[in-house]
Amino acid sequence: MQDLENEIRNMIAEIIEKDPAAITPDAKFYEDLGVDSMMALEILAAMEKKYKITIPEEKLAQLTTLKETVAVAREFLEKEGRHA
Amino acid sequence: MLFKEQVALVTGGSRGIGRAIVLMLAQEGAGIAFSYLKSTQEAEGLAQEVEKLGRKCLGLQADVRDFAQAKELVEKVKQHFGRLDILVNNAGITRDKALMLMTKEEWLEVIETNLGGTFNVTRNAIVTFLKQKSGKIVNISSVSGVAGMSRQTNYAAAKAGIIGFTKSLAKEVAAYNIRVNAVAPGFIETDMLAGLKEEYRNELLKRIPLGRLGKVDDVSAVVKFLLSDAADFITGQTIVVDGGLFIQ
Repeated sequence: MQDLENEIRNMIAEIIEKDPAAITPDAKFYEDLGVDSMMALEILAAMEKKYKITIPEEKLAQLTTLKETVAVAREFLEKEGRHA
Repeated sequence: MLFKEQVALVTGGSRGIGRAIVLMLAQEGAGIAFSYLKSTQEAEGLAQEVEKLGRKCLGLQADVRDFAQAKELVEKVKQHFGRLDILVNNAGITRDKALMLMTKEEWLEVIETNLGGTFNVTRNAIVTFLKQKSGKIVNISSVSGVAGMSRQTNYAAAKAGIIGFTKSLAKEVAAYNIRVNAVAPGFIETDMLAGLKEEYRNELLKRIPLGRLGKVDDVSAVVKFLLSDAADFITGQTIVVDGGLFIQ
């Protein structure tokens, strides 16, 4: 569980060019971390690629914090019958 | 072949300029999906013609005015072909009338089909293009939207809107290797012009410096160029194809 969170944190850090330590579970992407909608889409696409899952674009609005993002990834991993 | 292994969606593909674009893309090796609203027979004939060229073809009935139908259209194309590389927003209608006689319905129908349809289909395809960091879009505008045309306030407004849409989207998605351009045809020999009175037609010919009406292939040739790698450094532009009718 911690692994998934760390993996996603590092992935996001790379996309938004921020120190992973700044991406705390509840830090708000848009307000606190300067994420824009295109970066959010890149985060979604990166998760799809890494975990070989398909996340509908409607879920974009839910990618607001690391905690929420991990929850989305987990939801779709579980749908695929994989547990993280 | 310019578009081998690529998949293209053309809206309003069963007749006129759209049909010529479908055939051009098929000749250049693309897998083809096109939408049509009412022309079922023409759509079936076209699908057969594309398949004769050895390409896969998916003709889908869809009303681009409806966001949900546009979404379903794009989804079906992606499901069928597994990808989408090219979008040509061509679906369009006219309801020409002097403004003082134009009804709200005639205004809305034209705006919602031409401009709304372009938004609806592009909105549903853009995330795919953004994710794959590639995509090419050509929107069919009109010389009416560039220069204005009497009795076409609705059509000209929609087609000018498409030019603004094209410019803005081009800036928004350029970083994602997505190019967005428009083509503005002048008077082209299609069903849209079939109702033209003989005297008006002759009058018109006098105003076109190149002395003839356009052919659908005059337009599809420019679309081909804009979609090809030869136009790799061109985005946000509107190319007028009108025989010199409107020269800026």
